[in-house]
Amino acid sequence: MMNGKQYIESLRKLKPRIYFMGRKIESVADDPVLAPHVNAAAMTYELAFDPRYEDIMTATSHLTGEKINRFTHIHQSTEDLVKKVRMLRLLGQKTGSCFQRCVGCDAINALYITSYDIDKKYGTEYHERVKEYIKYVQKEDLMPAGAMTDVKGDRSKRPSQQVDKDLYVRIVEKREDGIIVRGAKAHITGAVNSHEIIVMPTRALEADEKEYAVAFAVPVDAEGVTMIFGRQTNDLRRLDGDVDCGNAKYATVGGEALIIFEDVFVPWERVFMCGEYDFASQLVEVFATFHRQNYGGCKVGVADVLIGATANVAEMQGIAKAPHVIDKITEMIHLAETCWCCSLACSYEGYKTPSGAYMPNPLLANVTKLNITRFPYEWSRLAQDVTGGIVITLPSEKDYRNPETRKLIDKYLKGVADVPTEHRIRMIRLVENLSIGAELPESMHGAGSPQAQKIMIARRSNLEMKKEMAKIIAGIKPDEHFKRIRGISEEEFFSKLK
Amino acid sequence: MRIGIKYCGGCNESYKREMIEEILKRELKNCQFFYSNNADLIVCISGCKKGCAAEKVSGNFVHFDEWVGEDKVLTKIKAKLSELLRS
Repeated sequence: MMNGKQYIESLRKLKPRIYFMGRKIESVADDPVLAPHVNAAAMTYELAFDPRYEDIMTATSHLTGEKINRFTHIHQSTEDLVKKVRMLRLLGQKTGSCFQRCVGCDAINALYITSYDIDKKYGTEYHERVKEYIKYVQKEDLMPAGAMTDVKGDRSKRPSQQVDKDLYVRIVEKREDGIIVRGAKAHITGAVNSHEIIVMPTRALEADEKEYAVAFAVPVDAEGVTMIFGRQTNDLRRLDGDVDCGNAKYATVGGEALIIFEDVFVPWERVFMCGEYDFASQLVEVFATFHRQNYGGCKVGVADVLIGATANVAEMQGIAKAPHVIDKITEMIHLAETCWCCSLACSYEGYKTPSGAYMPNPLLANVTKLNITRFPYEWSRLAQDVTGGIVITLPSEKDYRNPETRKLIDKYLKGVADVPTEHRIRMIRLVENLSIGAELPESMHGAGSPQAQKIMIARRSNLEMKKEMAKIIAGIKPDEHFKRIRGISEEEFFSKLK
Repeated sequence: MRIGIKYCGGCNESYKREMIEEILKRELKNCQFFYSNNADLIVCISGCKKGCAAEKVSGNFVHFDEWVGEDKVLTKIKAKLSELLRS
């Protein structure tokens, strides 16, 4: 396993082609805009070496028997699923941000489960390839990015109907030694500071779309791979110092990139699906289930930090004992813990798949994520309510560092007497960071937009069963238990009242 | 042959579990059915992949955790019954 420092060092050995703000990034590990995202991912490595968190952060590989970072583990029990979300909450608390590594974890688990089923139907050898790849990831303690979302072009058209066929990643050539792929994947979390990229299809496919049914892994610096790092609200504040960002060490959410594959070669040993269009939807659903399971873990860990920041601001401003403030902070806790309940529930209700790996309950995982498209907006609203308008009117760090204005800011932005003004400013900036920027749209769209969860919830819940229950309770259909309880039928029982 | 039928709680069943019981009772006229574990064969009927109905069952049992169609239900049960009769 690698520790945090070794992970950062490992990134310096890679040469990915990355652009941001019109310039080429020379070193992901050292670029001031990207470094906080690197630090957040490094926490996933560092905590694996902290004896306090060893049980949560590490696992024993079922493939090699070796001790591994849990992010490279294939879940072998519901206990593993629970430990995964405990690990995510812990990391959210330690970083106040997205630490990005769950996506690769979910990708290897989804590939493990789906490749087994593909092989069973078609007699292919994907599962063995996936296992060998996972052994490699575990041994080297790598961070693969999981790349699912295609750029999609005209959303009213299927992949095969697009004017430009490259708007979904596809196989353009099959060779003796491998395949050539072309296309792009959007919003890929942690891609720039990963070691590998795992590509999966983004949607269900039809028989004439076999070229889009492709899953594979390539190094981030494979020839033909270009990444364009996305802008975030206030991202260049990172160049101004360590106050205005709010979370200068670990940034906000994951840092997402557009990844372009310009005729990239993938050797056969790294191809995990090649034309099996009828398994595309399964791979998407399994991956989505794993990824939606996460959000009541990581986001709640981040919410813990926001709740703490809000309570600190309340104390620093002398309003901590006001009943409405206590009520609002309690409401924030209630919302966060509700999401936590969802993550735990879908994990405890997980099950063993034919591959032997465990996956969470899909219905409950989708409920988890759907709540995350809503509740963070409410707990952020409450944080802003308690903090006050100053959350968007604070003077800049540069004015605070300027001796001419610092003394004025120190005097007039003072809260309670025994708290330095700088502490108040830092805490308000943290509230701003966690409740205003990229955090909220990430909660909305990360792991799929709300409608994607609604579709899954509708598909996975049995409405007919609920209608039957209602008919029994309403007295439209016979109630066998009532008859046993009373010894006579409902008709006889109620005829006495008429 | 005594067949015991055991259900899970059905929190979020993905299919109408009672269909399996109905098929068995209709097609296996020579068998006796009970809601009991004290039987030659236990048929565990879970509503989802969590499979709660089979969690603490040992011995001779058949487990359903999704709707597989009437034919497959009967094939699975008959195969198990044949196995038991042979032994």
